[in-house]
Amino acid sequence: MPYPVQLGTASRPPTGRKMSAHNNSLIPSFNRPPSCVAIRRAPNYQVDLAALLDETLHEFDLKVQGITVLLKPNFVEPDPQGVINTHPALVAAARECFLRMGARSVIVAEGPGHERDTEGILETNRLRHYLGPLAGKFVDLNLDDVRLVPTRTRASSVKELYLPRTVLEADFVVSMPKLKTHHWAGVTLSLKNMFGIVPGNCYGWPKNALHWAGLTQSILDINSTVRPDFAIVDGIIGMEGNGPLQGDAKPCGLLVAGNDPVAVDATCARIMGLVPDRIDYLARAGLLLGHLKGENIRQLGEAPESVRTSFAVLDKFKRLKSEHAHS
Amino acid sequence: MLERVSVPFLLGAQNADGGWGYRNGGQSAVEPTSWVLLALKEVEESKSRDIEKSRTVQLLNFSTPQLLNAFEAGVRWLRESQLSNGSWPSFAGQPRGCWVTAAASLALYTHRDSPDRVAHGLQWLVDTWPVEGRLWRRIGAKLLRHDRVVRMDLSLRGWSWTPGTASWVEPTACALIAFHHIPQQMHPSGAVRRRQLAERMLYDRMCPGGGWNSGNPLVYGAAGVPRIGPTVWALLALQEHRDRAETRCSLDWLGQAYSQIQGPGSLALAHLCLRLYNCPAPALEPSLAALNSNNQFLGDTLAAAWAAMALGGMPRWLSPEIRN
Repeated sequence: MPYPVQLGTASRPPTGRKMSAHNNSLIPSFNRPPSCVAIRRAPNYQVDLAALLDETLHEFDLKVQGITVLLKPNFVEPDPQGVINTHPALVAAARECFLRMGARSVIVAEGPGHERDTEGILETNRLRHYLGPLAGKFVDLNLDDVRLVPTRTRASSVKELYLPRTVLEADFVVSMPKLKTHHWAGVTLSLKNMFGIVPGNCYGWPKNALHWAGLTQSILDINSTVRPDFAIVDGIIGMEGNGPLQGDAKPCGLLVAGNDPVAVDATCARIMGLVPDRIDYLARAGLLLGHLKGENIRQLGEAPESVRTSFAVLDKFKRLKSEHAHS
Repeated sequence: MLERVSVPFLLGAQNADGGWGYRNGGQSAVEPTSWVLLALKEVEESKSRDIEKSRTVQLLNFSTPQLLNAFEAGVRWLRESQLSNGSWPSFAGQPRGCWVTAAASLALYTHRDSPDRVAHGLQWLVDTWPVEGRLWRRIGAKLLRHDRVVRMDLSLRGWSWTPGTASWVEPTACALIAFHHIPQQMHPSGAVRRRQLAERMLYDRMCPGGGWNSGNPLVYGAAGVPRIGPTVWALLALQEHRDRAETRCSLDWLGQAYSQIQGPGSLALAHLCLRLYNCPAPALEPSLAALNSNNQFLGDTLAAAWAAMALGGMPRWLSPEIRN
């Protein structure tokens, strides 16, 4: 079934994302097969992340042979300390693993939300040090060609979105966020990370139109339209407090990966000591985009409760904490 | 580097339809087309000056007819991309205008093309207000104690990235630069008030200690971290206030941050900015050449255009044009 793309300014028709039926549809939770989420311990970025990830990815039956995989890390701002952005060592490890698994090509792609100087971010974060020369390997989604795509859910007031051609033409999208709190959304994980696919060349820096259309609703619309096929969360060093930029480093020593971004985010929330269905966008996503409830998530590796580490949150998000009773 | 890399790259990146994409080979878009036209105009004028002065500078890789052909096609594309309300969208064929209107107006004006279209673009800029300062929004913000979250005066408005959203530093600065350069005779009524409000808005959104980020100087009590791009654009827009303390401390911040810049577009703009304010800046060409060898600017047309301008003289669009 072709991806429902409305040609806006496109010069040629899209090839469409050849997503699986499982990923391509909005499926209510009761009708969705159980999801799988793996939690792995990784004490620091110096360990053999490629080996760890390789072992983890092989536990999922990922069909990536001969296709284009797009890795969408969270590169927000220049961050030499490695607290804000997905660590480039993890991105390089994921790229290596997917290539080893037979992917035809693996593209790293991001459209930073506040900062126009993407190359400055990449260089400060030393992505080239891990990946080699970036030309041909990295796509700045803020500068990509765009197509107008109707949103699959109509949660926000935005009914259609300009989205980058590179994302729409990728066969398999992997969201690779950092484990962080977020001062507007509560947390920023694999679903919120997809905000970065929205191109700055149409929406600006920041992509303020989506905030005005409703932040949490926009997260839902973006992910219903381009649902990540897989998620790998960098929880080796996370961020707590006033995230996603000005919070404090939170070393957790974890990688969380799974084939359902909602289940991955719900698992991360549990690890952070938060109740997933109290997080507005996650609760909404749990209706049609994936599994929120623990009973529908098959956990691999560590159990969430065994690695739980309470994240500090802003006062307005104290209600999200699991020790905070609902009033 | 200008002759060997920047100009050939820009000329080679022009699409058959006359426009330029954000990346080499990308679909034509208004913002890169505008800045490339501005950059090539500077190159052409500096070349003419060199010929007049019988200098021995040889710009070997391109000829004046090549530039003129590129101008003609580019300007035509830009002209045809304008919407009926005077604005320009990001990409031709999109229905709504946005921040790129300032750069497009500036480019058409610099190429002495279609003054009526330029005036129409400026009219749209004057008529299009960001939404955060509307009375009911300000009342709502007071009731919700918005001031506890972010520190800003919502009555001060500049320009937004896209209609129906809030003021941000970079689109505000770009609009101010366009109004600063294009003669006042072409400004619509109301332009003076918009400019004054926008300048005040920029100072209001300055980070504590100087410099700007995208437009959040203080969130939940934490001081915003200034960034190169917004700081440069704000300083370029506020050059008439160069003696204000806020301008000076922002300039100091930029001077200190300059050595940390690792992106070619930011480096070029920061260099231009420091020169505009007569501040010392290290030689640009070796740094740009090093960055080019890293990633070939990732094919970024805007970065290449800004680099071409920074490698030349002081661009004309940074000074007011006086028309009798």
